This record gives sequence, structure tokens and C-alpha cells, in this order.
Amino acid sequence: MQRVDTVDQVFTAIQRVKSNAPAFCTNFFPWERKLRGWIDHAELFGEFRDEVAFFMRKDRDFWHLYFCAAGGETLKRGIALLTDLKKEPVVVDLIGNESASNELAVLIESGEFRPYRRFHRMARTGLAHVQPSGANGSPVVYADRADAPTILNLLCHSFDRYAEQLPMLYEIETAIDNRQVLVAKHEGTLAGLLFFETQGFTSMLRYWLVSERFRAFRFGSALMYGYFTTQKTVRRFVLWVLTGNENAIQKYQHYGYVADGLVNLVLANQIIRA
Amino acid sequence: MIAEILKEIRPEFDFTASSDFIADGMLDSFDMMTLVSALDKQYGVSIDGTDIVPENFKNLQTIETLLRKSGARL
Repeated sequence: MQRVDTVDQVFTAIQRVKSNAPAFCTNFFPWERKLRGWIDHAELFGEFRDEVAFFMRKDRDFWHLYFCAAGGETLKRGIALLTDLKKEPVVVDLIGNESASNELAVLIESGEFRPYRRFHRMARTGLAHVQPSGANGSPVVYADRADAPTILNLLCHSFDRYAEQLPMLYEIETAIDNRQVLVAKHEGTLAGLLFFETQGFTSMLRYWLVSERFRAFRFGSALMYGYFTTQKTVRRFVLWVLTGNENAIQKYQHYGYVADGLVNLVLANQIIRA
Repeated sequence: MIAEILKEIRPEFDFTASSDFIADGMLDSFDMMTLVSALDKQYGVSIDGTDIVPENFKNLQTIETLLRKSGARL
């Protein structure tokens, strides 16, 4: 694969595939701002042909694979020719409704991938009637740049890097600059955080966690309350939750989130252990 | 009619009050795909894959232009 140097390269490759596409399929929905970040940090690589384009994004010690293909069979043949899949740890995310995602999963699995994790999306609309929790006097505040390494450390220790799309340090710093990370501190220690992305009237809750030793302090609800009250103009809140994580699902339901029908199937190649 | 279809997909938003559905966070990539299917069905057209880009879904006017380009009679 060749390093991708410009956003134009990406869109040209996608358009080229689309123009020959009887049954276009993709797992690549890039926002320009995000793409620029990947390109500026030399994380994005590509391999382009007439009927299929593959992109691989470096993430810590593994890769994310994205594709745009003119049809299912083209995708299947293309994956079989990708030599990088034999020697590098790679994951693929498939996002869509259940049936569409399952159809794509069958094609990807033919390239020696296996199901790794499944997430589903939950959404809530309008403002919820969330009561302030009173977090033992520890205020929820916006994170500042000095918190970024601690936040990264907490995320890396709490979530599965292969499945959870963990941000890099520079992405955390940007989110902090954009006031999209709330933290709860206890005697100067970062006890919990809530990381979100708001675009206009929609906000995605990306990570919400409280360190184990602070779980009796109700920081989790304080963070959630802080989130809702700082995002007053948002009308649609969404998040992805690991299917089967009943504890988290119940908490989100408590705050008014309900499953909206979208799923994210994460597949991993053989180099990544189960 | 377009506004009604949008309202079915995202009932929480007032699409007549926005000039940029994407920047306002009212439609994401998945909503765009749902919208394309609904428009294809409603107007008896087949929107070309190359036209499924955010610029064509910015507001009611750009969606109308896209539909006309795809052969819809509005």
C-alpha cells in the first residue's frame, strides 16, 4: 500500500469505484476533518484499482481496513489479494443495519477474518429530565491539555483498543481544545471522564468511564448530568455500546437511550487473538 | 414532500429551518443512505452512487436539484 498524502486522493479513488459500481459497498464514511488528521499524521495508506479501493489506517500496533467496492464479489477477490492482511494485525468495522452488515461480514470472513465484537447504536432525542447527582463536592469540569496523557492512559486501560476506536493523544488534545471532554476530579486526581463529539444538533458520547476506586462517589452520574446540561442545543444524542454489556446498556437506558437499529460488527484477522 | 420524508427519518429536527443539514448534525452518512432509498422509492428514480455525497444533501434545495438531475418530476 502507498501512503495517502491528500484528501483528494481519497475522494478520487472512491469516485472512481462508484462510477463502475453496480452494487457499491463500503465501510468507509470519512469526514474531511478526520481524514486530514489521519493524513497529517501519516496514518493513512491506500491501494486503488478500478473497481475496488482499500485504505488502511495505522492505529497503535494494528491497522483498520476500509474498503469501497463495486460489488460483493469484487470485494471478496480484492481482499484475497491484499498481502498485508497475512502479516499485520487488522480489524474491519462494518456499520449498518443488521442484515446489510451480516451480508458484508460473510464476504470479509472469506478473507480469513472472524467475528470479534459487536456493538449496537443507542439514541435519545430531546432533553432528558436528569437530576443533578451531587458528587460529594467534586466538580465536573472541562478537561485541560495537561489531562490529556492521563485520559489516554485511562482509555487504553479501560477499553479494547481493537474494537473501541480509541483516540490518539493528538485527537484527545483537539477534543479538549473543542471542549468535548468532561472530567471529574477528586483531590486533584482524575477520577472519571466523559468524551463526546458534538456536531450541530447531534452529539455522540464516545467514552464514559470512572476509575474503579472512585465508583462509589457517583461521578458517573455527575459526568452524565454535566454532559446533558452543557449540550443544551443538542436534540439527538447517540452512542455505541458493546452488545451484551448489560450493565452499560441499563445505565444508558436509564438516561433515555434506546437501540436505534444500527449495528457495528468488528471483525479481526487471524493475527489478532480472540 | 422531501421535508416529510426527512421528518420520518429524523422526527426530532425541523429541516425547514436549516440550510446545512450536515453541518448542523441533522443527517449522518447512514441517514443519507436511508434517505436515498426513500427518495428512490417515492420519486421512482435511481440516484446515482456518484451523487451520494454530502454536498447534495445539505438542504432541501440541493436535494431537490439532485432529484431533478436523477429524472424525478417535482
